[in-house]
Amino acid sequence: MTLHLQPMHVGTGSYDIERHLVFADGYLVAVLVQLCAYHEENASEWSLEAGFGPVDDPNPPIFDDLDEARSWIERRLDLVS
Amino acid sequence: MLSASEPNPMDALIRKLGSIATFSAEERQAIERLPVNVRMLHPRQDIVRDGSKPSQCCLLLSGWACRYKLLRDGRRQILSFHIPGDIPDLQSLQIPTMDHSVATLTEAKVAFISHESLRGLTECFPGIGEVLTRCVLLDAATFREWMVGMGRRDAFEAIAHLLCELYLKLQAVGLAENYRFSLPFTQTDLGDALGLSYVHVNRVLQEMRGKSLITLRCHILEITGWDELLRIAEFDATYLHLEQRAAG
Repeated sequence: MTLHLQPMHVGTGSYDIERHLVFADGYLVAVLVQLCAYHEENASEWSLEAGFGPVDDPNPPIFDDLDEARSWIERRLDLVS
Repeated sequence: MLSASEPNPMDALIRKLGSIATFSAEERQAIERLPVNVRMLHPRQDIVRDGSKPSQCCLLLSGWACRYKLLRDGRRQILSFHIPGDIPDLQSLQIPTMDHSVATLTEAKVAFISHESLRGLTECFPGIGEVLTRCVLLDAATFREWMVGMGRRDAFEAIAHLLCELYLKLQAVGLAENYRFSLPFTQTDLGDALGLSYVHVNRVLQEMRGKSLITLRCHILEITGWDELLRIAEFDATYLHLEQRAAG
């Protein structure tokens, strides 16, 4: 399984603008968003904006960086592969 | 004995019950005479735990509390927020085993009243028993609104609705006015109550600030766009049944 991250901007009206679509073997599995300064201690960290299938989580985690997010998503996908 | 200058701990309960019903002087005195054990509790301290069989109820005198359920992996759902005058575990008077926990959110002063005393009170004064039953039914009405919020309102509408609800409940017991009130708990708490992530709650609050609907500084929330917030939330206060102004 190969993860591919594609940067994009989403017009949600919030200040959290920097996002990545995350594809696994060509399938969209998650959207990550980088948190802006309004999130104070979590500013510049990455939040799971949306997860699909096994990556869906009712309590979306926050990651220090994209590598941590990538590892978490891979673990989630490994559980079902 | 309480000194003349010291407020009776039962004032909080009388104010709360007085916001939904009227009492005779005799009934009021009977409530004031209830024996209580008053304690100061730390923030985030359990008052009564899921699965326990309490022999007393807790009356919140100051601070905030909540009812909650925990899932095995630690995920928490807050079921309700409680303010002074509330008895969040009143159901334990009739249902022996707790099916959820009650905890403080802030430092809180709590009066414990034994079931025995409460039963004695309601036997002597059935009218008070009816009002306590009404409290439980009003809680159920609030649960129904929260269910609509979590199931069908979007995050903006759900938070707007909760802020309107909290303001009116606090105002009814004299703890808020001019659309300002203390909101001392965290955005994670709000998220746990509404089934939203901390990030989502933070984003919505920023959006509300951006639209001049609220200000939030040092845990003081001011609703600057009350009518607009009501409209967005489709807020209908009927379910709160606040037919009386705060007593006393």
